[in-house]
Amino acid sequence: MGALYYLLHPGQLRSMIQWKLWHDPVHRRDPATECATLSECFRYLNMTSRSFSAVIQELNHELLVPITLFYLVLRGLDTIEDDMTIPLDVKVPMLRQFHVTMEQDGWQYHDSKEKDAELLEHFDVVITELKKLKKTYYEIIKDMTIKMGNGMADYAQNTEMIENGVQTVKEYELYCHYVAGLVGEGLTRLFVASELANPKLAERPALTESMGQFLQKTNIIRDIHEDWGDRRRWYPKEIWSKHVDKWEDMFDPKYRPQAVNCVSEMVLDALKHVEDCLFYMAGMRDQSAFNFVAIPQGMAIATLELCFRNPAVLESHIKITKGDACQIMLESTQNLQVLCEVFRKYARRIQKKNDPRDPNFLAISVQCAKIEQFIETLFPKQDPKKLTKEAEEKQRQEPSMSTGETAILIAVVLGVLLTMTGVMIGIAWFFGARFDGTFADTAKLWSSAGGTPPVLDRDEL
Amino acid sequence: MASGTRGDLGNVLVIGGNGFLGHHIVNQALSSWNSKSVASIDLRCTHNVNEKAAYHECDITDVAKLTELLQTIKPDVVIHTASPMASGEGKTAHELFRKVNVGGTKAVIEACQKSGVKALVYTSSASVISDNETDLLNADEDYPVIRGAQQKEYYSETKAAAEELVIKTNRQEPSKLLTTSIRPAGIFGEGDAQTLAGFLRAYKNGKSNVQLGDNTNIFDFTYVGNVAHAHLLAARLLLATAASSIIPLSYERVDGEVFFITNDSPVYFWDFARAVWRAAGNDKGTEGVWQISQGWSIVLGSLSETFFGIIGKPPTFTKLRAVISTMTRYYNINKAKRVLRYEPLWTLQEGVDRGVGWFLEQDKKDSKAQ
Repeated sequence: MGALYYLLHPGQLRSMIQWKLWHDPVHRRDPATECATLSECFRYLNMTSRSFSAVIQELNHELLVPITLFYLVLRGLDTIEDDMTIPLDVKVPMLRQFHVTMEQDGWQYHDSKEKDAELLEHFDVVITELKKLKKTYYEIIKDMTIKMGNGMADYAQNTEMIENGVQTVKEYELYCHYVAGLVGEGLTRLFVASELANPKLAERPALTESMGQFLQKTNIIRDIHEDWGDRRRWYPKEIWSKHVDKWEDMFDPKYRPQAVNCVSEMVLDALKHVEDCLFYMAGMRDQSAFNFVAIPQGMAIATLELCFRNPAVLESHIKITKGDACQIMLESTQNLQVLCEVFRKYARRIQKKNDPRDPNFLAISVQCAKIEQFIETLFPKQDPKKLTKEAEEKQRQEPSMSTGETAILIAVVLGVLLTMTGVMIGIAWFFGARFDGTFADTAKLWSSAGGTPPVLDRDEL
Repeated sequence: MASGTRGDLGNVLVIGGNGFLGHHIVNQALSSWNSKSVASIDLRCTHNVNEKAAYHECDITDVAKLTELLQTIKPDVVIHTASPMASGEGKTAHELFRKVNVGGTKAVIEACQKSGVKALVYTSSASVISDNETDLLNADEDYPVIRGAQQKEYYSETKAAAEELVIKTNRQEPSKLLTTSIRPAGIFGEGDAQTLAGFLRAYKNGKSNVQLGDNTNIFDFTYVGNVAHAHLLAARLLLATAASSIIPLSYERVDGEVFFITNDSPVYFWDFARAVWRAAGNDKGTEGVWQISQGWSIVLGSLSETFFGIIGKPPTFTKLRAVISTMTRYYNINKAKRVLRYEPLWTLQEGVDRGVGWFLEQDKKDSKAQ
């Protein structure tokens, strides 16, 4: 983006400068204390992740390394899954056995053609570091690796879904569960084990699930055009078939209004997770952990707003602007109340763009209002106890104020005024003031101001 | 008699059972609950008639006649929905509100106590905690009832006075009568002469391109079927309490309690209006909508009231309307969900479709009749 853009949008530039200048990470990595294998791991983290590497490296030191390694293990699995050059009969056992593989010292894989292949070629450094982890953290990562590897293998073998795409909302959510819900589960367990989050979160898996669903659904909604180019489709047929007959119609300018309505319904479906997400984030006990979960959530609600009723999402890959991203990062790294205001702001923007001709118009409006209602339950602006007290006080005061009393009050005020005037004039007179010219002066002033119309003017009429 | 599955209600009497809300209660009691009999008492019993129900004409302020009727009907539960239309100002309207809402309710209580009725469910209004000025954000049953000089709406004042009488009557020895009060917010639906009728009138007069305020104000509108459902849930639970010898624990108690009822779907005020207009056939978006700020709306409302006051006609636009359509007023119904186990049976959109559909039907009938 050119200088001209920022000239026209100074707010965007301001947010970016503010973020660069004022963002003070709670924790920082200390590369001096890191051994060679660990700094290699961080190099891979920076290489493979654009959005997560920064927040991960600002995490509390207790979880810095475990979450970095958890991320790299998932990235490793993902690289294998995505690689279409690996034959299925090799891929499936690799995925299912990855939790065993990641315990073999010196394991490397050289047959991948994916962009992140380098990670697999030197995966031994990850294995070395995994073995140094506290046992509780290691067990969580291993358990999640088993679940994710099996989930991915199931999908790789699911030719029905690969050929025909996702059919029902249930299937769509199951897919989101495997790619994001499980990551969330692992993270929650790590947060709880390290006491950076309220242990109650572990008892409410639905909240964690919503965190992952919200992020993954947002990605799917935004990536519709890119996925279409890759001949993949994650929008469930149950939703899109209500708006268009064939999936290709979504991209046909002839059906633009229907396609935009379809995206709206997808956005509505994603918005139903927001209340759970806000509730989940209320459970964070550590600032760095809060930032880690809040930034992606803030980005997600902004991305949904960007996609909502925006035909551009059907034509290209759209992204929130850098300035908006910096603004969201600023506001997502303070506290839940500030973050809630981010959600309120974007919910209201969605509501403002909502179109009465959209079949889900009312449901979308309700969902936005419900987000505001939920924020109200977290941070109430009204206190019924205080209101009751105020109402009682008013009740006591007002009946005593009859019209008779009002008249007395006015009489008293007037009386005081007159007395004061009298006293002041008296004092002035006592000290030698003369009032005989005053009336004449006033009369002159009155006539010159037009009180008595000059006779002269008549001629001109 | 009926083939319901939601529970036993015994003999049900709906006061105002030919009215807007009342006839939905009669219909649901017959279709979805196990009721031995369903009767209605109303001033006129010509409208909204269900052939499976029994109808009795009676002015409820006539205690003697009402008591006599109740002693012959012998209801287990009485659901008291009768109330005049909330709109209307001036001395005659105020007298009517007091006579029916307060006097009528007193008579109903007395008749119930004298004829061995077990349970009384009273239809109050969510407006009893609103002074029609202050916003209400996620308000619940802990909010103070606004009475006397603070309550600028006389209708709400009389509803609150009646509710107080009903709640005081609960377990008032020697009577065993159990009472509860339901406070619905913004009822709309088939047969609705206020909410939907008002929005549809605005649409027909070409006012759907005007918006008062910035439409960030959240409001509760409740489909009448859901409100009827809540009344019957409360009736069922009161009867269950009456059958039990112990007083329930406070957190699960229905008798002597009040409950807000909404669609659990707070919504931006003008979005609801647009959904109604859309259902009525409007194909316009929001571009070209003329937005009048909240301050100006209230000034215009006052001016209109003064103007119509001078020419001596009822005003088409009032200050109260301007205030209501620009204020935030929505409720938290967790208590009803927890204690009554209430969940709305119809979504807001379904309610709008049913309600507006009914109006379109009426219009068709009217044009045929002509």
